[in-house]
Amino acid sequence: MGGAASQLPKEMVSEYQELTFLTKQEILLAHKRFSELQDRDSLSSRVPMEKILTMPELKSNPFRRRICHVFSTSEPNDGSLTFEDFLDLLSAFSDSATLEIKSHYAFRIFDFDDDGTLDAGDLEKLVNCLTGDTDETRLNPEEMRQLIKNILEESDIDKDGTVNLSEFQHVISRSPDFVSSFKIVL
Amino acid sequence: MPARDGKSGCFLQQKLEMAQNEERRVQFFRLLSDESYSSDLTDDSYEYYQTEIYEQLPSTQTQNQAVLSDGQVGQRADPNVPLRALPLCIQKKRSTRELRQQQRLNIAYWESWSQSQKIFRRRLREQIAISLSGLLPWRHTLIKIEGLFGMGVKGYFTFLRYLLFLNLFHSMIIGGTIVIPSLMYRTKTISSYGLFFLDIFHRNESLIYFRFYERGSLDKSCLNTPLLFLLGIISLLIISFGMVVHRMVVGYKNTRLMGKRFNTNMSNKVFSGWDFCIQDHSAADLKHNLIRNELKMDMEEQGFHLKVSQRTVKHWACLTLLRVLVNIAVLCLLGGSFYLIYYVTTYSKPQKDHWMMDMFFNYLPPITITMANYLLPRAFCKFAAFEDYSLTTQLNLTLIRSVFLKLTSLGIYIFSLYAQHTPGSNKITDTCWEDNFGKKMLHLSVFDLLACIVNTFFVSLPLKWLVESCKESTLAKNVGKTEFMITQHVLDLVYGQTASWVGVFFSPLLPAINAVKLILIFYMKKFTVLHCCAPPSKVFRTYSSSVMFHFMLLLGLIMAVLHLSISLTSLLPGNCGPFKAKNMSSVMNDCVKSLPDLVQTSVSFVASDAFALILIMAEIVILTFFVSRGQANRKAIERLKDMLVMCSADKRFLVMQHTNKMRLQHRKWGEHLSATSGASVDSHLTHRRDLCD
Repeated sequence: MGGAASQLPKEMVSEYQELTFLTKQEILLAHKRFSELQDRDSLSSRVPMEKILTMPELKSNPFRRRICHVFSTSEPNDGSLTFEDFLDLLSAFSDSATLEIKSHYAFRIFDFDDDGTLDAGDLEKLVNCLTGDTDETRLNPEEMRQLIKNILEESDIDKDGTVNLSEFQHVISRSPDFVSSFKIVL
Repeated sequence: MPARDGKSGCFLQQKLEMAQNEERRVQFFRLLSDESYSSDLTDDSYEYYQTEIYEQLPSTQTQNQAVLSDGQVGQRADPNVPLRALPLCIQKKRSTRELRQQQRLNIAYWESWSQSQKIFRRRLREQIAISLSGLLPWRHTLIKIEGLFGMGVKGYFTFLRYLLFLNLFHSMIIGGTIVIPSLMYRTKTISSYGLFFLDIFHRNESLIYFRFYERGSLDKSCLNTPLLFLLGIISLLIISFGMVVHRMVVGYKNTRLMGKRFNTNMSNKVFSGWDFCIQDHSAADLKHNLIRNELKMDMEEQGFHLKVSQRTVKHWACLTLLRVLVNIAVLCLLGGSFYLIYYVTTYSKPQKDHWMMDMFFNYLPPITITMANYLLPRAFCKFAAFEDYSLTTQLNLTLIRSVFLKLTSLGIYIFSLYAQHTPGSNKITDTCWEDNFGKKMLHLSVFDLLACIVNTFFVSLPLKWLVESCKESTLAKNVGKTEFMITQHVLDLVYGQTASWVGVFFSPLLPAINAVKLILIFYMKKFTVLHCCAPPSKVFRTYSSSVMFHFMLLLGLIMAVLHLSISLTSLLPGNCGPFKAKNMSSVMNDCVKSLPDLVQTSVSFVASDAFALILIMAEIVILTFFVSRGQANRKAIERLKDMLVMCSADKRFLVMQHTNKMRLQHRKWGEHLSATSGASVDSHLTHRRDLCD
């Protein structure tokens, strides 16, 4: 899939259909959009993160950098995406992806320091992303402390001070709003 | 997972230093029940999961393997889990697929065949689900509304769509069992304008009315139009009961089983708070604001509860007095409006003078009901602010009062309609009271639509123009753009649906009319929301409220069923409709008598008291079984949770102990090292130390 104008071979499309939650039309659309992002001169199949972030679907998302980092398979983890990474992203955010998949990726997106658990620091960053990360929009430290305390009280079932993946999925599974809101459609 | 081994050593060092400073201590929030034990570990101040040994714990390793390692997933996981449902990147999914194929070669022929069959069935199901979801109307509109106004408003529209499907389904049942048989086996000829829709208010020979569905030429003892009529209505009511209860229980069971202690309100707001569909920058800002306000509101509510616990006796007394007064006022308003409805209904006799007057008097009761339903909830909303309850309680209280008002006013209306008829009971025999009643329900339904049109084009739209044209004036600022009041609108929907259920026996086309009405309402509300409304400042809790919506719907349905059973058993049937020649019980008796003996005896047994007793007993046994099982499950969940806390505390303790030991050893080694300078030591640790320095 080097050139921008190249079409996806049929067998690739059906393979992608098997490996992702996307339909044929969605895969073709994704390919079109991705080739638009690709640099015409350079033959590299990776699109740097900054370019991905200009997509209107991601532009106003406060987690856009995290999303790129989570789905990137590049070695230095610079957030650049190949077409397959891009499909992975769309698949996880698609309409038909399971709660299991969605919550798994949500957990990794929210785990800002990539240490496998959501600790107080991660939660603080998460809340800041949600409320807007400027000085006037942020919650004040007292509120933040209370909020994090509440969250841990509620979802940290084994009381070790962090929310791990299974605890996170437990909480998420009881919030049906999540599946409908964790969605990016091209 | 990015490489973290290199970092974690440094992390440990930093954390240790932080621990010595004792400034920013991470707290282990141990809010366990009374029986829980307390650990002295809370004093340790670095996160144990950042220590090295944490990596080597069996639990962590299994988790890592299950999720992150290459290719191993296929072996561990169930081979029937679709590849796309694995949280892996595409490259790893490919290798997993190869692995699975190899495994499939290794296993027996039969097993491999059954596995491929399973996969085929799963794909078929998926395809069907996809094509079905493509049929859902208004998907894009809903997404747009959700992006601009949030989940709450979208919840209203999904509810509307659900009701539309319900009504279309009802129309199908009615079309199949009532309308088509009546038309096919009709003995009287149909006048050409009899079917004409616009004629509904004057001609009685229309499909809309009860009178039309007379006993036709299809006249077998167990297959005749009256019996089909009955079958259609009863199956309709039972099916809608099942559907509504199902929708309600799905939402309810989770919260019930988990109990209050595991309320995850705040976590949900944070973890599933962001709506990833949002593309618009201003919508994103809006969402930021919404989330912040909601979190702040929750915090305030917590503060409010704290304040409540500190109230003095005098304060309490004042508040109770105030609340009693407010409740009396509410009751007065309710009573007044009920009396008004009753008075208007009994007063509005059809006038023969002029058709305008006739029409006016026909529509007077619906007008009164709609006015009361429009004004009073707004008053209740204002009242609730005085009572100094927490915000959720305020919302719920207003909702309960409004539901009570809506459904009871409909009840009063129906009651007064009957009161009008019963005094001269001999009069009933010649007039067709069923017809009349169906007509009233139709008027109610039509007026509901009219009210919606008026509200959209003559209230919301001018108000919006007013506000936009004179932005500077203080009045416009005070009025502002109207918010979309979700509860109010949902109540309107429930009210319309209840009227349709109540009237369906007397006017079988009501569900179809209701469906058309809902489609119109959808487009009008869409217009209102997109053009005249500001996004809500208060966030509506969609999930719990969807349970609430369905509960209200259930109340409406119960009311309809009660009404139908009372009116059919206690009132004499009018001289028209399917049960003109024979009444309901004789129609059924005829059918039963024509059946073979064995079936007859079994039917009479099922209808007898003895069977009812057995049924009740069986129900009690089953209920007891489920209740006790539910209790046992809840206890087991509690115990497991406690166990989990214990285990994790043990793990933490051991990890800490181990790290402390390592630290001591490390220090000793360091001393040893400086003494002997250069012996080979635990390269692992020193290497890391160097990295950090």
